[in-house]
Amino acid sequence: MISFVVLIILQLLIFNNIQFSGFVNPYVYVMFILILPMAIPTWILLLFSFMTGIVIDIFAGTMGVHAFATVMAGFVRPWVLSLNITAEASDPEMSPSSHTSGLRWFFIYTVTVVFIHHFSLFFVEVFGFTNFFHTLLRVLLSTMVTTFFIILFDIIRPRR
Amino acid sequence: MRSLLNFLLRYKNLIIFFILEAVALVMISSSHDYHQSVTFGAARSVTGFVAKRVENGHSYFNLRHVNDELVSENLMLRRRIEDLEAVPQTGFTAKKDTLSGITYNYLSARVINNSVNKQKNFITLDKGTRHGVTTGMGVASSAGVVGVVVGVSRNYSVAMSLLNTDFKLSASIARNDYFGSLAWDGRNHRYAQLSEIPHHVAVTEGDTIVTSGYSAIYPAGLMVGTLTGDQKRGGDFVTLKVLLSADFKKLTNVYLIGNLTRNERETLEKEVTNE
Repeated sequence: MISFVVLIILQLLIFNNIQFSGFVNPYVYVMFILILPMAIPTWILLLFSFMTGIVIDIFAGTMGVHAFATVMAGFVRPWVLSLNITAEASDPEMSPSSHTSGLRWFFIYTVTVVFIHHFSLFFVEVFGFTNFFHTLLRVLLSTMVTTFFIILFDIIRPRR
Repeated sequence: MRSLLNFLLRYKNLIIFFILEAVALVMISSSHDYHQSVTFGAARSVTGFVAKRVENGHSYFNLRHVNDELVSENLMLRRRIEDLEAVPQTGFTAKKDTLSGITYNYLSARVINNSVNKQKNFITLDKGTRHGVTTGMGVASSAGVVGVVVGVSRNYSVAMSLLNTDFKLSASIARNDYFGSLAWDGRNHRYAQLSEIPHHVAVTEGDTIVTSGYSAIYPAGLMVGTLTGDQKRGGDFVTLKVLLSADFKKLTNVYLIGNLTRNERETLEKEVTNE
């Protein structure tokens, strides 16, 4: 819960104000969805995703856009987890982290979910596939920056 | 009934997923409704409070930039005071163009709408008929030619930008007075093309391009841009690439140029060509 509040505040106060020439808009709040415990039931995960998205939407004045993208991210999370699960990362009570599962694993996991989140976010925001490659470039650049910050936060995150 | 329940239980995640996404999509598509703005009115006052705090912090970091802008605006205002003191009247100030005998009027205006990314760009100015603006007046910034007024209302006027593929300007090379036609090709907002320059004219990179004064819209010798050195040969003429001196992406203050003797000149020119 603390991580939820911290991430939302970070997103609203700092990351919503980073906009390098309209191409890079990092959305680090997705990290909250990423670090929920491994064994969380999918339907709770989906509800959490929706709530997170709505909170961001209310503050950004973009009703529904973030909710849509975050639910999408929450929906693919279990699949991404099962796709690249490793022996060390099988403790269901743990939350996915680079400390328990290794940096490489966490990177692949983060980059996949963040990419899917940003992809649906930017394309729903544009509401269509006009300027497809322009939007795709924004997705790719923002995914890189978001992933960087999420991994950074994961490394400095206090361990239990 | 049992099988239905079983079905629902088995696919509950998928169903929840689709319901939530549907809710989100409905919210997105109805986000312009009046009702929605009432529903979220309470939430908005909270976000407005936060946004204002954030903006306060943000504007603090922008102070240096704002300062620079204010200093240059101050400088401009000082210069205008000089102009106004020289001629004891408000509004229009008259300047005598001693070269051609044409009197041009200058009126300052502020750009309130502008674009550079379309093929046909227009600029909206905050001066209209109330201030004496008429269609056909030239628009220039302190850096150079900007456009020509094509529509006027009581308080506003709309000028066709030089960055409009329909815009044509009679311009000449300042060093040797050869003139040609300047137009924008619709690509880069920093460059325009000067065509109809004869082959034999020697040009070098950096040559100044000014208005020729043949159009009665602008006085002769008003800055347009400089040659980049790129040229395209075709037929008897050369087309030269011109770096525009006015940066259309940051236009704020411009001058409207009115020609008091324009009607007289055009009537005469028409009379002679009709005979």
